[in-house]
Amino acid sequence: MPVTVEVPTEKWAGKVIEVKLGATKEEGGSRAGTVTVGGETTLPFLTFEGGIPNQPVVAAEVWDVEPADWSPVLLEAWGNAVKDPVVWAQQAAALGAKLIALKLRSTDPDGQNASPAEAAATVKRVLAAVDLPLLVYGPGQAEKDNDVLVAVAEASAGERLALGLCEQSNYRTIVAACLGNGHVAIGRAPIDVNMQKQLNILMSDMGLPLDRILMDPTTGGLGYGIEYTYSVMERLRFGALQGDRMTQLPLINTVGEEAWRQKEAKAAEGVPEAWGDLAKRGLSWEMLTATSMLEAGSDIVVLRHPNSIGIINGVIAKLMGR
Amino acid sequence: MSRLIAAAAIRGANGVVAQASQELEAAIAAYGPDKPVAFPNTAYYLPVTLGFMGHRVERLADLRPVIKHAKELLHPVPQQRLWLPYLGETLDSGVATLLAEEAIEGIRFVRGEEPQKIQAGTDVEGADDSGLYTLNGPIDDVQLRSWGIQLVDGRMPGFAAIVGAAKSNEVAVKIVRELQQRGILVFLSGNVNGRSIIDQLLEEGVQLGYDTYTVPFGRDTISAIYALGFAMRSALTFGGMKAGQARDLLLYNKYRVFAFVLALGEVDDLKYATAAGAISYGFPTIADTLIPNILPTGVTQYEHVVSMPFDEIPGANDLERAEKLVQKCIEVRGVKVKISKVPIPVAYGSAFEGERVRREAMRIEFGGRASSCFEYLRMLDPDQVEPGKITVVGPGLDGVADGGALPLGIVVDVAGRKMQKDFEPVLERQIHHFVNGAEGVQHIGQRDITWIRISKTAVAKGFDIRHLGEIVIARMLSEFSAIVDKVQVTLYTGKAEVEKTMALAQAAYRDRNERVAGLTDESVDTYYSCTLCQSFAPNHVCIINPERVGLCGAYNWLDCKASHQINPTGPNQPVPKGMCVDPVRGEWDNVNDFVYRHSNQSVSRFTLYTMMDAPMTSCGCFECIIMLIPEANGVMVLSREDPSMSPAGMTFSTLAGLAGGGLQTPGMMGVGKYYLTSKKFIPADGGHRRIVWMSSVLKDSMREDLQTMFSSIGEPDLMDKIADETVATSVEELLAVLEERGHPALTMDPMF
Ligand code: SF4
Repeated sequence: MPVTVEVPTEKWAGKVIEVKLGATKEEGGSRAGTVTVGGETTLPFLTFEGGIPNQPVVAAEVWDVEPADWSPVLLEAWGNAVKDPVVWAQQAAALGAKLIALKLRSTDPDGQNASPAEAAATVKRVLAAVDLPLLVYGPGQAEKDNDVLVAVAEASAGERLALGLCEQSNYRTIVAACLGNGHVAIGRAPIDVNMQKQLNILMSDMGLPLDRILMDPTTGGLGYGIEYTYSVMERLRFGALQGDRMTQLPLINTVGEEAWRQKEAKAAEGVPEAWGDLAKRGLSWEMLTATSMLEAGSDIVVLRHPNSIGIINGVIAKLMGR
Repeated sequence: MSRLIAAAAIRGANGVVAQASQELEAAIAAYGPDKPVAFPNTAYYLPVTLGFMGHRVERLADLRPVIKHAKELLHPVPQQRLWLPYLGETLDSGVATLLAEEAIEGIRFVRGEEPQKIQAGTDVEGADDSGLYTLNGPIDDVQLRSWGIQLVDGRMPGFAAIVGAAKSNEVAVKIVRELQQRGILVFLSGNVNGRSIIDQLLEEGVQLGYDTYTVPFGRDTISAIYALGFAMRSALTFGGMKAGQARDLLLYNKYRVFAFVLALGEVDDLKYATAAGAISYGFPTIADTLIPNILPTGVTQYEHVVSMPFDEIPGANDLERAEKLVQKCIEVRGVKVKISKVPIPVAYGSAFEGERVRREAMRIEFGGRASSCFEYLRMLDPDQVEPGKITVVGPGLDGVADGGALPLGIVVDVAGRKMQKDFEPVLERQIHHFVNGAEGVQHIGQRDITWIRISKTAVAKGFDIRHLGEIVIARMLSEFSAIVDKVQVTLYTGKAEVEKTMALAQAAYRDRNERVAGLTDESVDTYYSCTLCQSFAPNHVCIINPERVGLCGAYNWLDCKASHQINPTGPNQPVPKGMCVDPVRGEWDNVNDFVYRHSNQSVSRFTLYTMMDAPMTSCGCFECIIMLIPEANGVMVLSREDPSMSPAGMTFSTLAGLAGGGLQTPGMMGVGKYYLTSKKFIPADGGHRRIVWMSSVLKDSMREDLQTMFSSIGEPDLMDKIADETVATSVEELLAVLEERGHPALTMDPMF
């Protein structure tokens, strides 16, 4: 006897806001194309319940100095590319990254302490060398972040960069720089739905339209709080689909940074033999963190290992049923 | 609107529009209609015109529609006998004035007369060999962006457009220094009888220019238009608005650009007309001469025009008067100035909050057993608070032996536009945190049981009694700038003085207690929410009504109200009650709505007066759990501090696991312990008479308050009838005790 089973489906009222990154020549920038994220009207990859007009994308993390504290596995995999952000970004683009996440670590006051002007020049060089949209991060120290990102924002006005990080204690200058120069801002809250919402409110209260804000919920690495991030992202996305405007922004996760920070991805010695080969282990750590974040609703995953780029692109394509 | 101002502004506008019209036609005749018109280094054309009209002026002929529009905005000067509303006419005239002024500046550029050069003398820095000093003219776009970002992100509190000349060179310098000190950008223009503040500053060797945040535009009133052009461009750049969206652009300026006009010296018609133009941006004018005030607010956030005749400003000399004048400007525009670093000789930070100063390490103490010490914060009128003033009345540390004591009274006076009397206790309680943040200073208690110790090391580094005031002032301004505009602190150390002022403080404490006691659920129409705990209990919302504290005990209704003022997007939001669904159970439709929306749509109803039907959810930080004991027809109240077994057969931690996490569990509810002394203690379920068992720590720590409460409901013996862990840790024991003591719950109606 034939049985017809009706799959129960959920209809959501809300929609994630679409955020466009990069600007083409006609739009006042110099990118070959733009990347739009967001726009979902359903939970991650549940295409039978709603639309996913823009699939999640991979951003490759590129530094403007050779990263001294990175796992040897990563440094080996990239080879000489890490010595020059231009070469590095070009290789990442060739490997299939859709965005370049350029971290201006050279400006770290406790390190090289490069000037904002130098950093802005680096951004221009990378913009000239690759035609993908850019995310640009300061050194991660509030005062210097502000100086650097203001210089970058002005030097690259109109390119619709995504600038980060805005945090509750330090967002005004970066938002102002975005406002004045047509960029997108990335806001990070410490794994907390309400603080993320509050940050969104504060940023948009300054006049930055919601379609120019990305939410970074703070990523816990696999085994290091990933479940908290997962649950906060899930709640943000539920909120978005239920129609809560202040949660309707696309999500970005700094997966590589968190995954490769952990001992499991770094330690070759003094660990149980069963952990196996370090190179494989580190890569798996990053991939599993990335896929979990994608399942939780991530729109942009920022990755570190060159091989992860292609693999995660493949995962996204499969999950999208392509 | 004062008729005098309206008439003057309208006259001024008529005059300047006529002048612009004439100059334009003359220029067109001389240079031809296609002669390019432009301000240098800007992509915003003539920015005020661009903003108001969406019209790009590129050639002389493009100015014709501008003048035409300005003429349409003109009105006849009001007749003597006409007394009515001039505000509309005056504002129109203001806009006409701005358009005309900008047109005139455009024409001057065509004629090569801008930026203005003035004869300053060869010894003036920046002057050329023949002594000519070139003024700035309009601000270029690069500078606009750099300052614009600082204005938007708050690093730069605002800008002052000074027009005219000060009483003396000395006063001119003082005014500018006072503004610079606060990071306020200064634009200079205008003159009085040919003398300009620009001349005054140059004569005194004050460096002008972008680097010193003081920009000389021109020696006439017309050049003040550059300040308004700057404001317009910053709105176009940072406000995301388009040219021609005049209303939005003006609102942007009103709410986000903290600027004001400071008119020094006599105010003529053109100055009135220009000030009227500034008012439409929401920028008030403060004059140092006698002119009519326009106090009622409307277009600007606070007053429109404030007159503060210079010689009548209280002060020992002109310099003090200048300081007060600047202070007034800042108040009128609501410019917020913060102190970023606490100016004391020891380290400061939250890391030191938990630090203790032991007796051996102590240099001096105030309060405790050794002497009396109190702190009292009160709200005063703005005129009565001198910003940043610290006064120590009485002996200092020197006369006190190591380890000795002095009495101390800390009186903190605050003033602020948004300050309310109700916020006094909320701010006062912060003194504890503030003072504790200093290395080597320990603060315990509050009100008249304050106890402060200062360590020998701190005193050796230079810490003195007055620094307590520095801490309070700096921190109040940085944490509570939303409600506090200025603070002064008086520290009394003489016994007689302390006793006298303490009596005042104690009267105020009593008033506050009564006020809080009188604050009932019925007396307000708005409750507050708290969602702080959603970080770990995602669906939990506390609704805080005047007669029930948050279940953690940390937030009462007044705290939430103040917290909302201070941080409008924060975790405490107002919840208007809305329509009453059930007065007995305490259910309101808006409360239900709010909870539904903020609990991720998981809790749809919420009652305030019963624990049996849709009670408030419990997050996990509750001070006590109240739980139904069906056999006893009442409830038990178990304290977090009580580790013993309860008659429900579970300890606090087991029960907390059941009730917590944001669940709504009828028959079980987490509460703050002071809820036990509220008149609204589960009233729909029968109130206090239902309490059959209570942890003894609660009885002991709140005995007096509970006793008062019980007596007030006609049950003075209730305390003794209520069992505790010393007599009953099971239902059987409990019932026996209740029978024996004749507890009222046994004869009440069934609870469900
Ligand atoms: S328990 Fe306290 S902190 Fe938590 S939500 Fe309630 S009132 Fe706020």
